[in-house]
Amino acid sequence: MGKSENVGIGELMQEEYRWGFVTDIEQERVPKGLSEDVVRLISAKKGEPEWLLEWRLAAYRHWRTLSEPHWAKVHHPPIDYQDIHYYAAPKKKAGPSKLADVDPEILATYEKLGIPLKEQEMLAGVAVDAVFDSVSVATTYKEKLASLGIIFCAFSEAVREHPELVRQYLGSVVPHTDNFFASLNAAVFSDGTFVYVPKGVRCPMELSTYFRINANDTGQFERTLIIADEGSRVSYLEGCSAPRRDENQLHAAVVELVALQDAVIKYSTVQNWYPGDKEGRGGIYNFVTKRGDCRGARSRISWTQVETGSAITWKYPSCILRGDDAVGEFYSVAVTRGRQQADTGTKMIHIGKNTRSTVVSKGISAGEGSNAYRGLVKVLAGADNARNYTQCDSLLMGSRCAAHTFPYLEVKNDSAQVEHEATTSKIGDDQLFYLQSRGLSAEDAVNMIVNGFCKEVFKELPMEFAVEAQKLLAVSLEGAVG
Amino acid sequence: MLEISNLHVAVNGTPILKGIDLTVRAGEVHAVMGPNGSGKSTLAHVIAGREGYEVTAGEIRYLDRNLLELAPEERARAGIFLAFQYPVEIPGVANIQLLKSALNQVRRARGEAELDAMDFLDYVQTRLALVGMKEELLYRSINEGFSGGEKKRNEILQMAVLEPRLAILDETDSGLDIDALKAVADGVNALRSHERAMVLVTHYQRLLNYIRPDRVHVLAAGRMVKSGGPELASELEERGYGWLDTTAEVGEARA
Amino acid sequence: MRIAQEDRAAYVAAGRSAMEAGPSWLKLDRHEALENFFRAGFPAREAEAWKYTSLAALERQQLHSPAPGVEFLPDGLPAGHLLGYGNGYALSRSSALPESMLGRLDAALARTTLPAAARFGTLAGRESMLVALNTALWREGLVLHLPAQWRVDEPIFVVRTIDEDGAMVHERSLIVLEPGAEATVVELCNGRGDYWRNPVTEIFVGAQARLLYVRLVEDGVAATHTGALFARQAQDSRLDVLSLALGGQLTRQDIALDLAGAGASATLHGCFLAGGRAHVDHHTRIEHTAAHTQSREIFRGIAAGRGCGVFDGLIVVRPGAQKADAQQSSRNLLLSPHAEIDAKPQLEIYADDVKCGHGATVGRLDESQVFYLRSRGIGDAQARALLTHAFALEACAAVAPGTLRDWLTQRLDGALDRLVEGGRK
Ligand SMILES: Nc1ncnc2c1ncn2[C@@H]1O[C@H](COP(=O)(O)OP(=O)(O)OP(=O)(O)O)[C@@H](O)[C@H]1O
Ligand SMILES: [Mg+2]
Repeated sequence: MGKSENVGIGELMQEEYRWGFVTDIEQERVPKGLSEDVVRLISAKKGEPEWLLEWRLAAYRHWRTLSEPHWAKVHHPPIDYQDIHYYAAPKKKAGPSKLADVDPEILATYEKLGIPLKEQEMLAGVAVDAVFDSVSVATTYKEKLASLGIIFCAFSEAVREHPELVRQYLGSVVPHTDNFFASLNAAVFSDGTFVYVPKGVRCPMELSTYFRINANDTGQFERTLIIADEGSRVSYLEGCSAPRRDENQLHAAVVELVALQDAVIKYSTVQNWYPGDKEGRGGIYNFVTKRGDCRGARSRISWTQVETGSAITWKYPSCILRGDDAVGEFYSVAVTRGRQQADTGTKMIHIGKNTRSTVVSKGISAGEGSNAYRGLVKVLAGADNARNYTQCDSLLMGSRCAAHTFPYLEVKNDSAQVEHEATTSKIGDDQLFYLQSRGLSAEDAVNMIVNGFCKEVFKELPMEFAVEAQKLLAVSLEGAVG
Repeated sequence: MLEISNLHVAVNGTPILKGIDLTVRAGEVHAVMGPNGSGKSTLAHVIAGREGYEVTAGEIRYLDRNLLELAPEERARAGIFLAFQYPVEIPGVANIQLLKSALNQVRRARGEAELDAMDFLDYVQTRLALVGMKEELLYRSINEGFSGGEKKRNEILQMAVLEPRLAILDETDSGLDIDALKAVADGVNALRSHERAMVLVTHYQRLLNYIRPDRVHVLAAGRMVKSGGPELASELEERGYGWLDTTAEVGEARA
Repeated sequence: MRIAQEDRAAYVAAGRSAMEAGPSWLKLDRHEALENFFRAGFPAREAEAWKYTSLAALERQQLHSPAPGVEFLPDGLPAGHLLGYGNGYALSRSSALPESMLGRLDAALARTTLPAAARFGTLAGRESMLVALNTALWREGLVLHLPAQWRVDEPIFVVRTIDEDGAMVHERSLIVLEPGAEATVVELCNGRGDYWRNPVTEIFVGAQARLLYVRLVEDGVAATHTGALFARQAQDSRLDVLSLALGGQLTRQDIALDLAGAGASATLHGCFLAGGRAHVDHHTRIEHTAAHTQSREIFRGIAAGRGCGVFDGLIVVRPGAQKADAQQSSRNLLLSPHAEIDAKPQLEIYADDVKCGHGATVGRLDESQVFYLRSRGIGDAQARALLTHAFALEACAAVAPGTLRDWLTQRLDGALDRLVEGGRK
């Protein structure tokens, strides 16, 4: 693999910061701080209808009654919510004008990750005009979807073009009162993605934010709403494996999924936000609320995530299994190293009969990283024959890392079968030796073991994504075992 | 003794057995062979009365009764015994505890007196010797931590203790060393009598070298595709299943 | 929530004689503990540790300190040393051991020269308000202090009976095994009425010492039992704890083991039965503080009727506790449609060279096991009973085969039969 012995991704990221992305000069911003006026201003700037403003205001008023939750096993200095800009008009950023101007170190990382050239340009913040082709690619893509009746657009566009759909489903899975960060998001969300797949339509391609026009600058309070109507199917990809920068430290996104009868939604995430420097300074705080509602009979929602970035990750993609025979799945790989902290897991709420859920969580802690799995499996009294299987494994590298497992099993139906298993182990010296004695380098041996460890999750990712995720893991753990 | 006609069985809506006919008379030994996944264990489980198998058509008669109406324990008490392909582990319940309750239930059903502890132990000793099993295993939890071979021997021990009229051995020979195979065969042969019948599910000729079957059947894709005498087993051993057209109707063979 | 001014009098009255006796350091401790309790009050549902269990009924109840009662000895109690307590008062004692080794705690603490006295209160800490109230109000108490290499072969039975409605009894025990000592202690809690039992036990197991400690809860159907057990183990020591919760309306057990010496090993086994409207909650915490420590935790829970069982078990491996080996298993059976089980097995690991795992299941009996037994001629009901008993009895594996295990098995079997009976009705 790479020649760089000790250059971990953290250092590369630092380079990236030093290199470019000078804060723009002429951005239109509202002053720091949050108040009803700021909420009104955001709504007005976006030309939103009255009902949406009211919804935002209700969220804001509720948020003011809440205090920041501290039950997660993460530590951070207090966040000053009045010291944040809640609105900045999307403007073109000053960036390098062509790829050749980008720091070669970053390009080397992209290379390692095998990211296509066009994507590299976009990621590296090369001015959008320069990424001419990808815009036209995106346009053809969008036309094809439209011919099937699939709506795939920016959230603000959906508010203008399909207000009845947005109004019907917005907040129906994650209400504006749900939790501290979800309320904050509801009050001030900047933009995001909206997807609607009509009855019986199988979306023929993976939907990815990368191809959405105006995908940039959705900001720190992103909101995604995906509705799969009866009998439809859709697979959605979020994020990408390349390291991403953002000047906003706090990210509080909300994702709502609605699967009606017989619908299937597959949601895959690769998250690699800036994790901060070696002391953990400046990394992204990623407080996300993701929830899917299997509203109809035989519906199915599947979450797959590969989390390698952010200083703090706080996220529990969940499934409400309301329809009879509904299926919920959660597959996760979370890597923490340096001073990274992750507290992640899922909630599976069994309400309908014969509902089934599967949870597979793989946590890898290296350096001083801390990784916690937190999960709830709840079987309500009416959920006859509910089934859950949870497998939760931690892999430890280095004597100063930490791994925690906090599952909650709450079962109120005697025909349910709920099973949780967890293991914690380090990469065995004998395993390493075995592979090395077969001619593998220590690094390759670790990669092989780690990939084996994560296999059950990777196989749930769409093909190209899985390959990227594997490479990403290798890069993330470079130098983790000495 | 056992008459299966036109048996169709589905699992979770998927048809597995698609019209099985099989007649076993008292005193006979039948061998059932066939590729993996063809439905042999399914057939064995349906005879023993396991839940989760839907009989969609056909019937099974045993000693002139409708077998499908009986609960599993009623079948056992009526003399049916299944040696499991994968014997179940039951932590906390001692082997001997099972043997004693089971034997006394079966004896009661046969109109015999229950055995007291002393007589029971004496009786079990004779059976242990028959299958060459370590006494120590009697006091361990059922099959828990048993090696593959020990589990199979334990099944035969239970059979020897319960003295069934119809025994179905589902791959009891798989995973056994030569001595164990011999012990299992001895156990089976010792029980062989003109009023007892046996059905051996197996993949190998080697068991049939010790226990000579009267009839050999080939089950493939849920159907009996060929039946014959003991020589059929050796033929299968040599030629595999490929030469049989497993998709065709009963008995049809390709050249 | 703080205890209202008008409600405080009952507690002050309950402590009147006990709080004024004993050495001055103890008096000070007691007063401080009572003040703390008044300030913080009973634990509330908002606290994570009390998420599944409410003491609201207890909080509302009129409670008083009872007069000495009688002890109730159950049938077939095996031979051994025997101490009988009635309503918290030491009533009888039959043991050849000197009183200084096995006797009343208040007497022991009065003799400040006793090395055991220095350990009193050091494990129980000040965090729990239930412990605080116990510290303030306990009377007479129990001490077991075995000198180095001292082995007590026969089990020591401590029978604790409460038989007064509205009684609150705060029992306090201190068990100290000096290096190489060995003992078996069985605390049996039984009684009648809607009393509240709030025992606190501290256990110190010295280097290479061995202790088997059994808590058998057979409290009356209306009783509330909130017990706390703390243990610390020195190097190469062995501690086996068995908690059998077979009675009571509301039972809560907080058990905390600290494997503080290298090479220490512990087993923590438990079985709880929650039938009728009973609520049984076990909170356990096993800390691996030293390297090369081993723990095995096995809990079996059965809920029937409208009963609710809770298992909250935490395993912590502290930094530096390399080669720690911890396994935890919580398996639970639901026998009726309105029963409930909440399980929360947890691992907190701060070292890398460890072997830790846990498993938890909630469900019905394994149908393939039921089928196996039935295919051997055993009837459906009998097969299920057999499997249910076997399931529960796995917890008793902590006790070596013999008279004590047989007796405990018999108690468990009896309670289980009643539970299954009650569940059918
Ligand atoms: N409970 C079940 N659910 C789904 N499919 C099942 C179930 N039981 C059996 N099957 C399927 O039925 C088919 C027949 O299985 P069976 O166990 O009877 O095969 P077999 O002939 O005994 O195979 P082998 O030689 O490998 O033991 C297989 O395809 C199997 O996967
Ligand atoms: Mg089979």
